[in-house]
Amino acid sequence: MKLHLTVLVALTAAFLAAPLRAQVTSERIQHALVEPQNWMTYSGTYNGQRYSLLKQVAAGNVSHLAVQWIFQTPVPGKFEATPLVVDGVMYVTGAENHAYAVDARTGRTLWHYQRALPEKLRACCGHVNRGFAMNGDKLYMATLDAHVVALHSKTGNVVWDTEAADYTKGHSFTVAPLAVKDKIIVGVSGGEFGVRGFIDAYDTETGQRAWRFYTVAGPGEPGHESWAGDSWTRGGAPAWVTGTFDPELNLIYWPTGNPSPSNDGSERGGDNLYSNSVVALDADTGKLKWHFQFTPHDLHDWDATEVPMLLDLVIGGQTRKVLAQANRNGFFYVLDRSDGKFILGKRFARQLTWAKGLDANGRPIVLKESDPTEKGVRVCPGAIGATNFMSPSYSTQTGYFYVNAREQCDLFTVERQEYQAGRAYLGSTYYPAANEKDWGALRAIDPRTGEIKWEFKHFSAPWAGTLATAGGLVFAGDIEGNLIAFDARTGKALWHFQTGSAIYASPMTFSVDGRQYVAIAAGNALLTFALPEEPGSSSPASSPAKAPAKKNP
Amino acid sequence: MKIHTMALSLGLFAAVAAAWAAGSLRGEQGKENTANPLVGSPKAIERGRANFRIACSYCHGMDARGGLRGPNLTTGHLTHGDTDGAVFRTILRGIPGTQMPANDLSEEETWELVAYVRSLQPRTPAAPLPGSVASGEKLFFGDANCSLCHMVRGKGGRLGPDLTRVGAARPLDFLVESIREPDKHLTEGLSEPNRDFPQVYEKVTATLQDGTEFTGVAFNEDSFSIQLLDQSEQLHLLLKKDLKKLVHERKSLMPAYGPDLLDEKQLQDLIAYLSTLRGI
Repeated sequence: MKLHLTVLVALTAAFLAAPLRAQVTSERIQHALVEPQNWMTYSGTYNGQRYSLLKQVAAGNVSHLAVQWIFQTPVPGKFEATPLVVDGVMYVTGAENHAYAVDARTGRTLWHYQRALPEKLRACCGHVNRGFAMNGDKLYMATLDAHVVALHSKTGNVVWDTEAADYTKGHSFTVAPLAVKDKIIVGVSGGEFGVRGFIDAYDTETGQRAWRFYTVAGPGEPGHESWAGDSWTRGGAPAWVTGTFDPELNLIYWPTGNPSPSNDGSERGGDNLYSNSVVALDADTGKLKWHFQFTPHDLHDWDATEVPMLLDLVIGGQTRKVLAQANRNGFFYVLDRSDGKFILGKRFARQLTWAKGLDANGRPIVLKESDPTEKGVRVCPGAIGATNFMSPSYSTQTGYFYVNAREQCDLFTVERQEYQAGRAYLGSTYYPAANEKDWGALRAIDPRTGEIKWEFKHFSAPWAGTLATAGGLVFAGDIEGNLIAFDARTGKALWHFQTGSAIYASPMTFSVDGRQYVAIAAGNALLTFALPEEPGSSSPASSPAKAPAKKNP
Repeated sequence: MKIHTMALSLGLFAAVAAAWAAGSLRGEQGKENTANPLVGSPKAIERGRANFRIACSYCHGMDARGGLRGPNLTTGHLTHGDTDGAVFRTILRGIPGTQMPANDLSEEETWELVAYVRSLQPRTPAAPLPGSVASGEKLFFGDANCSLCHMVRGKGGRLGPDLTRVGAARPLDFLVESIREPDKHLTEGLSEPNRDFPQVYEKVTATLQDGTEFTGVAFNEDSFSIQLLDQSEQLHLLLKKDLKKLVHERKSLMPAYGPDLLDEKQLQDLIAYLSTLRGI
């Protein structure tokens, strides 16, 4: 996935010069870096690095960044999506099964789609959606009522609509699908309802299911012995965050969530495979190549549903193909992505009370006194975790992995609960630890060592993701509503903008007609920023030395 | 994937509450005067307790004595109706205008919760509190200086939490503790009118470049700014980059009212008054 620099530059020039192209292909996404004006998949590239080569907005001029347009959705609820932008058109999904195509330069709507919601939806944590996948002339959306829908990108008309699972049993989708070759990959939500989690692949043209991988090992499958009795039938392990893809190894890496019920492990003795894991699946068949479980037999709701980033790193003098993840349990992991072997693990959460550390194989050395009790036991990180679904990013300029970390502890209780299909199945709950102010930090981690190189302290624990750019910048949001640009090398905050609402999304960037934009969802709106245009010029100031000319009042 | 605003999505009621409130309510109308068919059943109380811990305790507290958002349910006085039928309706339908949501529960589960809530009520009507409500009110607005910082029904200061419904929200021992040892609870997240973010009543001191100091509580704050109300109720809208120093202390601005400031009798009077404050 690494292109030689000169090839890259040549290809970039060729793509930028090429006329508008309508068809997004898996091949094109594989080389997404060479057309940085477009953002064709959830994380920008298959490797999940959320890194863009656009550099018009740079450390020297970012202080001039200003809102260009705001797209207001009329739907209340959290707006968690990362938009796609292809050839000047933005495609974005919103809350309550809504989706839109807008002119990426002006924010004007081209079409609007909604799959009508059933009355009694089972969705735990907000009626959210994290975005589209695109392939050919189609967009793919996974819906709250557990359908996968293909829309024509020009019209928003439905091309096919496949029911993936029964929403009345607690299945739902919030994930942005991943388009890989001729398949659309999705992972189910519903860990709060005791579903049996799965990752599905659908044929891009017909909507027929090509394969399903159950994230809870059933009878006869390896790992089944890690579930006591019949607990596997309601074992959870949802898969609600978009995975990554290595075309050379032909492997899809998909992270999985907590076992159900989250707080009570008494009926699900064993490691509960493949909950809280990353699974490496053959992209064509869905067959399991390897797995790595971060939190075996979890009792704290620590879904491993954080983007599993693919990096090629020199470690100990050797170039290694690795997978890096900052996990909700507070540890940062680096694995060999060809076989899943543990390379290193180091805590990135300042507050971590549940484990002494990791053993030589990366298995946590759990402190039993962190198990939830009837009266409640204080554990750090809290149930939301040391990070969550919000995306990390990686800058090839600095070699740092950026993660928005949360510092917050909870009181975890346990309560026996009978399973009923379609009802919440949690095994009790958790409460913010008394008299402690939550906080957070954007942290730059050296993935070769797991060392934290710098941090910027947030006032409260964030829910927003990050974006790294070749402009020497990292963008991240906070829960008070600020979108912030940082110097990627030093962590200095160079610019911020108050969006007016808490941010539960990850930023992305694109360009149209040579002008770079940065976009983020906040509240019910999507905000888009760029540098001011110079009078009489179609492209904005790009040199740090040339401040934008003052406009007449 | 649980989400923190999540109190409202936790537990059995899930996200269907709104749809529910609008839709049929499975015939709970007319139940206003219905007695709980499961009243006193130990099995029902136990099942109700278990469901309470999962679905209700985030707001009402693990022991139902008041929590982050919800009032104390053990006082023998339920603000929105004391009959079984009223409690049933409150649980199922929620209370419009408050943070109490509608819940997706079966009739049986709801009656089990009613049975549990009932089991928490004092067996005999609580003896009247020993203190004098009138003297307590006089202290509150007079010698004890409470109203310099606390508001009741629009009268008083705004440096501390509004106490208009504190009698419903908090158990008596909590009130005593808050008076004697205010640092113990900084009322984090206690539901405040017109706020959609948690209010933390801790002491904050901001120092400007020229050395000017403001001490008070933060109305709001983020990484770049702070909106600080000082002790004379002046609001300072400050950018952190303009400050020389900003210190948060994990303690209350309220003095600890030890026996020297408030003797036992006065404390009892004050508690008697506060316990009558049950909202508007």
